[in-house]
Amino acid sequence: MRKDRIRIIAAIGIVLVFAGLVSVMHLGSAPDPSASTRFLARDLEETGASNRVAGVYLNYRLFDTLLEVLVFSVAVLGVRHYLQQSEGMELPDLSESEVVRTAVIFLTPLALLLCAFFAILGHISPGGGFAGGVIAASGLLYVAIAYGMRAMEKRLNPARLVRAEEAILLALLAFVLLPMVFGRTPLSDLMPKGTPGQLLSGGSILVYNILIALKVLVGAWAVIAAFAQHRGEL
Amino acid sequence: MAAVIAFILFGIGILGLVLRRDLVIKLLALGLVNSATILFLVSIGDRPGARAPIQLPGDVAILADPLPHALVLSAIVVNFAILALALVFVMILVERYHTTDSTRIEQEMVRETDEEEKPCS
Amino acid sequence: MVARWILLALLPIVAGVALLQTRRLSAIIGMGLFSLVLAAVYLLMHAPDVAITEATIGAALVTAIYVLAIRRTGRLTVVADEAPGLIAREGDEIVGLEYEILDGFARQVGLDLSIQFVPLRRVRWLVSHQEADFGAGGMIPCADDDETLTSTPAHLETGVFTFPAASAAREHSAPRELPDYEGYYADLLEHDKDGTIAATAKALDLARVMSLGRVGAALEGLDRLDGTFGYAFLVSKRRTSLQRDFAAYLRQLRDSGRLNELIQRHFT
Repeated sequence: MRKDRIRIIAAIGIVLVFAGLVSVMHLGSAPDPSASTRFLARDLEETGASNRVAGVYLNYRLFDTLLEVLVFSVAVLGVRHYLQQSEGMELPDLSESEVVRTAVIFLTPLALLLCAFFAILGHISPGGGFAGGVIAASGLLYVAIAYGMRAMEKRLNPARLVRAEEAILLALLAFVLLPMVFGRTPLSDLMPKGTPGQLLSGGSILVYNILIALKVLVGAWAVIAAFAQHRGEL
Repeated sequence: MAAVIAFILFGIGILGLVLRRDLVIKLLALGLVNSATILFLVSIGDRPGARAPIQLPGDVAILADPLPHALVLSAIVVNFAILALALVFVMILVERYHTTDSTRIEQEMVRETDEEEKPCS
Repeated sequence: MVARWILLALLPIVAGVALLQTRRLSAIIGMGLFSLVLAAVYLLMHAPDVAITEATIGAALVTAIYVLAIRRTGRLTVVADEAPGLIAREGDEIVGLEYEILDGFARQVGLDLSIQFVPLRRVRWLVSHQEADFGAGGMIPCADDDETLTSTPAHLETGVFTFPAASAAREHSAPRELPDYEGYYADLLEHDKDGTIAATAKALDLARVMSLGRVGAALEGLDRLDGTFGYAFLVSKRRTSLQRDFAAYLRQLRDSGRLNELIQRHFT
C-alpha cells in the first residue's frame, strides 16, 4: 500500500540523515579528562563514599535521584490503575514441577540476600538501591511462578503493600527534611562521613540506598503482580 | 568504537520502530533506542587504562568518569518505567481492537471516527 | 580488549535478529539476550554499577513483564469434540456449521483460528482453565454448568434424545465405511458396533442422532425430551469482551440471513 511505502522511505531517509550527521562528529577523539580528574581528586573527602558513582547520584545529585524515584512511583501507580480495568487471566500454577520448586528454594533467598547486599553496601561496592530492589522483586516473582499468585496474595496482601509503599515514600520525605530539625539545609548529610571503605561512611548515602531499595522493591513487585494478574489477550 | 556501535543500534531501533507493524515489537525497538543512547553516554566516560570508579583513597589509578554512570542509572530506571506503562496501554489497545497490527488498528480507529461523524438518521 | 570488540560487534547482530523475528516471544527473548550482552559490554567499559542495573532491569524485569503480558500469539484457540455436520474432519480439511461460524468470527476479530479435537470431558476442562477460548462440537449447555463456564447464544436449535431405560442390546448393525472420527461420536459408533449404544448414551443431540441414523446405527425407541435446546459454544465466564464480541457477530450473522444459509448447507 502507498502508506507503507511512504513510511519505509521516510524511515530509511531519517536514518540516512542521521548517519550523515553522525559521520561528521569527532567520535575518535577522547573527551577532555581534566574535569573528571579534578572532580575525582576532591570527591572522596566531600562525600566519604568510596563508590564514586554512589557519591555522585546520592550526594551531589541527590535531588535528581529523588525525582527519579517519584517518576518510578508514578509509573507504578499508572500501571496498577490502568491494568485494573482490563480483564485478565491469572498466572498458571507451575507448582507441579519439582524442578521449579527446588530452584525457587535456593534462588529466592539468594535474590533477597543480594538486595540486602546492594542496599547496605551500596556506597562501598557497586550496586545501589535500584538494582537491589529489582533483584528482590524478581526473587518474589520466582516464588509466584512456583506457587501461584493466590498463595502470594495471601501472604503479601495488596492493600498492605500499597500502604507500605506510601509509608516508605513518607519516610524518604521525612529523612530529606530531617536535617532542618538540626538547623541544616535539607538533603545534607546526617550521618558520619567516616573513613571511606567502612560501613558507616558516606553520610546519608547508606540510609538513602536502603530506602530506595525498599521503595523499588515494593514498586517493582506491584508492577509484576499487576502484569501477572491481568494477562489479557495480547 | 563503542560510540559508532551505539549509533548503529540507534538506527536499528528507529528502523524497527517505524517498519515493524506489531505493536509489541515497536515497543522493544523503543527500548533499543534507549539502550543505544545509554551506551553512548557510558562510552564517553571510558578512557584508556581506566578502572571502575570505586576506589579507596590509598590507591592511585586512573578511574573511569563516574558522572555518566550516575546519570545513566536514572535513565535506565526511567526507561523501564516508561516501557512498563507503554506496555499497559498496548495491552488495553489490543483488548479493544483484538489485533496487534498497528495498521489495522489505525484503520479501525479511522472507521470509528468516520462513523461518529455521520449524522444520526 | 579483544573481548570488548567482539561483544560490541555482536550487539547490532543480536538486536537486528531480535527485531526481525515474526513471533513476539522470540523477539522478546532476543532483546533479553541483547540486554545481557550489553551488560557485559558495560562491565568491560569499567562501569559495574551500570552493568548490574542494566542486567537486572533490562534483562530480567523488562523481559519478565513482556512475557507476562504476552499470553498467546494472536490466536483464537478452539477445542472441539468431533461432531459430524457441526465440526469434523474430512481428509485434510475441517468442515461443518460451527467451523464456518468460528472461522468467520476469527477473521472478523483478526485472529488466527486454531482448532484441536479433544475428548468431550477435556473440552470443558480446557475452556474452564482458559487454555482455550471456545469449546465447540455440538455442545448443549446444561442448566448446572459450573461457575467458570458459560455459553454463547445458541446458533442452532436442536433436540435431545434419550433411550428409554430398558432396551435390549441389538445384534450388530452393519455400518458403512466410516470416516475416522475421534470423540463422543466415535465412541457411540463403537458402542453401536457392540450393540450397547442404548446403555451408554445418556442423552444424544439431534445432529449426532441424524448422522448415526445415516450410517445405519441402531437407534430404536428414542424419546425426545421436552424443551428447547440449542447448540452453543462454551466460553469462560471471565472473557466478557470475547462473549460480547461473539454475541454481536452472531447477531450480525442472523440478521443478514447468512446463518440460515449455513444451516441449510450443512443440514439438509
